[in-house]
Amino acid sequence: MNSSPFSSAFPSGTGSRPVTVTRAAPTQWLALADGQKLGRGDASRRPDGRMFVSIDTWHEDVFDRLAAAMPAELPGPLHAVVHEGDSDTRAAWERAGFTVARREREYVLPTDPRVTGLDAVRPPSGVTVVPLGRAEEGPLRLLDRAVRAEVEATVGWRTMPAEVLPRPDGVTVVDPSTYAVAELSGRYVGLVRVVSRGREARIGLVAVLAEQRRHGIARALLADVLRALHHSGVAAARAEVDESNSGAVRLFEGLGGQGRDTILELVRP
Amino acid sequence: MPKTSNGIEIEGIVTECLRNATFTVELQNGHKVLAHISGKIRKNYIKILPQDRVLVELSPYDLTRGRILYRYRT
Repeated sequence: MNSSPFSSAFPSGTGSRPVTVTRAAPTQWLALADGQKLGRGDASRRPDGRMFVSIDTWHEDVFDRLAAAMPAELPGPLHAVVHEGDSDTRAAWERAGFTVARREREYVLPTDPRVTGLDAVRPPSGVTVVPLGRAEEGPLRLLDRAVRAEVEATVGWRTMPAEVLPRPDGVTVVDPSTYAVAELSGRYVGLVRVVSRGREARIGLVAVLAEQRRHGIARALLADVLRALHHSGVAAARAEVDESNSGAVRLFEGLGGQGRDTILELVRP
Repeated sequence: MPKTSNGIEIEGIVTECLRNATFTVELQNGHKVLAHISGKIRKNYIKILPQDRVLVELSPYDLTRGRILYRYRT
């Protein structure tokens, strides 16, 4: 295997082959040459109403053709996602008029309490952490709905990654066994969603009801989850944080999280 | 509508997560490739973890490189 980094997202142009771009479906564009598919563009609308587009091709000139064709046929604004380190793809989107609107940083958290210093962290007075997989489904769904209502009434979904949004069928809590929750006076007030595979885990969501924030509940939830992951042999957990969310950044960096990649959300008016 | 692409599609298992959404994938035939995620997967914020089963399109220009087109449900 060639293990050196990708030198280019677009290793080749199409030379002199004539390329045709067609709208194959309401949300799909194809770039074709000599009966061969050289690239594909897709569009999808998020539940918050924003339209996101993507392009997959090995050819820079095909990317540019698709990036020109799609905005001409779609209502703006359009959004796209790219990793900050993927300079070729970012440059291609910028050529098409897209600019950075939001930055999301991926953190890698160690789970070993000797590294995180979380061994001594306990929940605030009156709060109990219900460990991963033991939350009751009914109260969990109630909390999930309350958290979503708070987001809609305050910052809105534009500051959130897509995975926080409901699925098209309205389901938000897909697998209750992936949640740990904080309970106060018989009511769930905070949650963490975690999926683990092998020696790695991913923290998909951390949320505490607005009235209970700034008491250390999120930190206590994460401490409990990271301890549990460590005991089950998971060495590290990943999470994405909006870089403008200073509270979340402080929380993850305070837990020993190391920033890795940055994901850019681009917009074209 | 032409359905042929100029890449070869093959299933594999993710063995390592690297930087910038790049992964080492062990293909069904035992070869290992360096693969990045497709724009469609990135757009939908689908996360890839080690041990995930994925569909990879190999680069027509370098068969040790590829693009992850699909993550199968576990």
